Amino acid sequence: MPTSSTDRSGSLVETHHGYNPRLLVFHGLLALACLAVAAGLAYQQLIKTNVYHDLERVQNQRRVLTPGPRGNIYDRDGRLLVGNRPRFSVTLNLDELRGEFRTEFLKIRRAYRESDDRNLPSSAELEQIARFTVVQRYLDEVNRRLGRTETLDGQALTRHFRRQLLLPYILVDDLHPDEYARLLEQLPVASALQVYTTTARHYPFNSAAAHTLGFVGLASLEDSPTVSLPGDELKTFAMKGSVGRDGLELYFDEILQGETGGTIYRVDPAGYRVNPPLVRRLPVQGRDLVTSLDIDLQLAAEAALAKLELPAAAVMLAVDSGEVLALATKPDFDLNATSPRIAAETYQQIDAAGGWYNRSVKGIYPPGSAFKILTAIAGLRAGTLDPEATVNCEGVYRVGRRLFPCHDGHAHGPIRLAQAIEVSCNVYFYEQGLRLGAERIAEEARRFGFDRPTGIELPFETKGMLVPDAAWKKRFIAQRKLPADQQAIEERWYDGDTANFSIGQGYLLVTPLQMASFAASVARGETRTQPSLIHDPTRRLSPSDPIGLNPVARAMLLRGMEDCVISPHGTARILNSPALKIPDLRIAGKTGTAQVATPAGTRNLAWFICFAPVDRPEVALAVMVEGDTPGEEFAGGRYAGPIARDVLKAWWDKRRSTAAQALHSSAAASTARAAQEPDPTRSDTTP
Amino acid sequence: MPQRSFHASRPFLLLGLILAGWLLVPTLVKRILSISFFELQAPVSVTASHVRDLQDFWSLRTRTRHDLIAAGRDLARLNASYEVTLQQTETLRSEVARLEALLRIPTLPGYRSEPARIARRDFNAWWQRLTIRKGRNYGITVGSPVIFSGGVVGKVAEVHAYTAVVDLISSPTLRIAATLEGDSRPLSFQGGNNPAFGPARGIVDYVPTDASASAVSPRRIVTSGLGGVFPAGLFVGEIIRLETSTDGLFKTGEVRLDSRLSELTEVTVLVPERAD
Repeated sequence: MPTSSTDRSGSLVETHHGYNPRLLVFHGLLALACLAVAAGLAYQQLIKTNVYHDLERVQNQRRVLTPGPRGNIYDRDGRLLVGNRPRFSVTLNLDELRGEFRTEFLKIRRAYRESDDRNLPSSAELEQIARFTVVQRYLDEVNRRLGRTETLDGQALTRHFRRQLLLPYILVDDLHPDEYARLLEQLPVASALQVYTTTARHYPFNSAAAHTLGFVGLASLEDSPTVSLPGDELKTFAMKGSVGRDGLELYFDEILQGETGGTIYRVDPAGYRVNPPLVRRLPVQGRDLVTSLDIDLQLAAEAALAKLELPAAAVMLAVDSGEVLALATKPDFDLNATSPRIAAETYQQIDAAGGWYNRSVKGIYPPGSAFKILTAIAGLRAGTLDPEATVNCEGVYRVGRRLFPCHDGHAHGPIRLAQAIEVSCNVYFYEQGLRLGAERIAEEARRFGFDRPTGIELPFETKGMLVPDAAWKKRFIAQRKLPADQQAIEERWYDGDTANFSIGQGYLLVTPLQMASFAASVARGETRTQPSLIHDPTRRLSPSDPIGLNPVARAMLLRGMEDCVISPHGTARILNSPALKIPDLRIAGKTGTAQVATPAGTRNLAWFICFAPVDRPEVALAVMVEGDTPGEEFAGGRYAGPIARDVLKAWWDKRRSTAAQALHSSAAASTARAAQEPDPTRSDTTP
Repeated sequence: MPQRSFHASRPFLLLGLILAGWLLVPTLVKRILSISFFELQAPVSVTASHVRDLQDFWSLRTRTRHDLIAAGRDLARLNASYEVTLQQTETLRSEVARLEALLRIPTLPGYRSEPARIARRDFNAWWQRLTIRKGRNYGITVGSPVIFSGGVVGKVAEVHAYTAVVDLISSPTLRIAATLEGDSRPLSFQGGNNPAFGPARGIVDYVPTDASASAVSPRRIVTSGLGGVFPAGLFVGEIIRLETSTDGLFKTGEVRLDSRLSELTEVTVLVPERAD
């Protein structure tokens, strides 16, 4: 009979004989290993939790950005110049069709296998076929309901599926309201097919002020500064937004740009959306812009320019505020052709016609005789020009060995300042220019800001305007790297250069906008007019340097400018003809005709600058027409004058009509007040 | 002991077997069973509806003769006014026909009116669906518009042999291309999430920004006729609130529906004549 466990089971029974020191090492190792695992876990869970959380977010969340509509642009009277129009499309939410794609995939694979086709496509190819088949089925459904014959672009679908799965896939774009109404009523509310609305720029006046308003282009929203949705690190699907490409649309892009909204979704490992969204932020429309343009005057200017079918520009400013009332350039383009995107063919057509070029602010031209006003002001201020003194015009003027002709080749005889302006006598101004010197003319031109951009709120205003002087000519000739002897001859400033400069020819280059600003400055008796395209009813120009003429000199200058229009010999006398005369409006103007050498030959330029009414100027105007008929008399009075007249007429008619309306309203209000007041002649019999 | 535990778990085993069996039944069979169930259930609903009608009949029998005479007189007046309206409608119809012939415009397909009593309206889907007492037996088709004297009721969603299910205008699953009365621009109307027994509301979208409406001066909306389901000019509801959408392109708002929609007893199904 065994008495102990050892006796019963021998040495097979495990027994504890107290503490075994050999195990201590293993216990220690085990404890260390456990500690290391625990530390590792703690490190991963506690210290690196944010890293993994972010990784998980990046892997499982997607951000969809939706553009905010752009703000509207209005004219000074609140009429819409640029707005947004809805663009309806029928879209398919591909991420809702996962089940259908799978079913179709299995069906197609089974069909291949049953037909024992040896060319069984790969799994990826089968998936593509299945997707195409399902989407085509939906498109057929839409075509059936709309009576259309739209086709599916397989490549676009594949691209969309790979890159923009969470965005709706556009099946049919730009639906007519009747079509979208039909789909609204006929499509089930919970269908993967949905009517989707986006916005596109809309220009109610088509080509009016095309260069000024500018246009927009499609752009990705991913880099947009207006994205206020969190999750920059997430994979982002962005619908196309729009950014300004030219004109006010570009200059004020930050203001007009809407606030981008969006949604953050959780997605499954295949990239399909899991509703509902985690974050949703609605897009917000951009701020509106009220421009200084008056669409009536703008349309009048463009209609007048269009009559000639020549490249031309016209700028009208409000004298007191510098606000631009009209800024027209021809040829132009239909802004609606640029929205939502411009077709390559249309782009080429506009480009070939020169329609993209904004002549008002980018075009630089010699101003011709319109510049004589500045020469006269410079001479009067310098004291070298006595308005009452005469200069004898013999039809030509000798400068060195060269004879400079008067503008029409006829001798004007003894002539004073006012008459010289009226008939645009070159000889008078050659004489005055040479007496004055080129430096003083240049200094005066700089005083009026002809040497720098006006700073109008438009992009790409040219910086190529030029007020030449001797130093400039030296630099300019040096750049041409001529032989030393030839350079020495050509870099000199000659009296002939001064003579040309004094009548606005030669190297002098200005923009039509600068000439309009100049006319406004002369009208106000100051030297600077800062043009602006933003309407502010309280705006008054900050005073600039006074023009610096005594009253007599100024009166002579203005008389010459008015006589230019009303005198039988004035170069703009056409405006006083019965057909063109604007009753009760006194206009002070100056014509100009200049020639520029182009690779195609000499090109004539017709100018007319003016302001009105003479006694209390309110508007100033500059018109420039590029002629293409060398040899023909292309006088500013004949070509540019009538355009200015049409714009002035539109302004004058509107002004009188507004005044009459105000008078009528005031009279009506007075009558109403009088009717409400008790009649003092009637005794009150009320007990 | 094991014998006892088997007995205890037998019901669960049976249930599991039934469920497994149901899962193995082909979809077609399940569909047939489901339809059959509804069709078998239909007579019960129809009978209950007839019983309700009988109940109404007997409750009217309890009215005094004086009440009935007064009601008869009111009805006679109403009928007289309808007679006038009918004559005007006839004149307008003939004028439309004359103009269509003159301008060689094809005549638009018309609708056949099919009055139907309400057979069933569940409390849990009070503002979503109702069942009417006519179905395929009267040529009713899916998608047919359903109206009552106050305008649109909804659209036929399912058609059975003797009954049809109507999606109500107050259901969020119904969308209509509507217009403001006197305007031609289409807008979208959709039923709202309406709790049973509360007032029914809907939502309008794509309302032109120049439109305005408030509870004090509501704007009526009617069907546009552009959607191809509802004929033009049927009253939908009144817009009582409008606000500009965030994109500034349209306005969105709330629509108050006719309160009589909650107590419908009879509707008219407009069966498209083309579908006959």
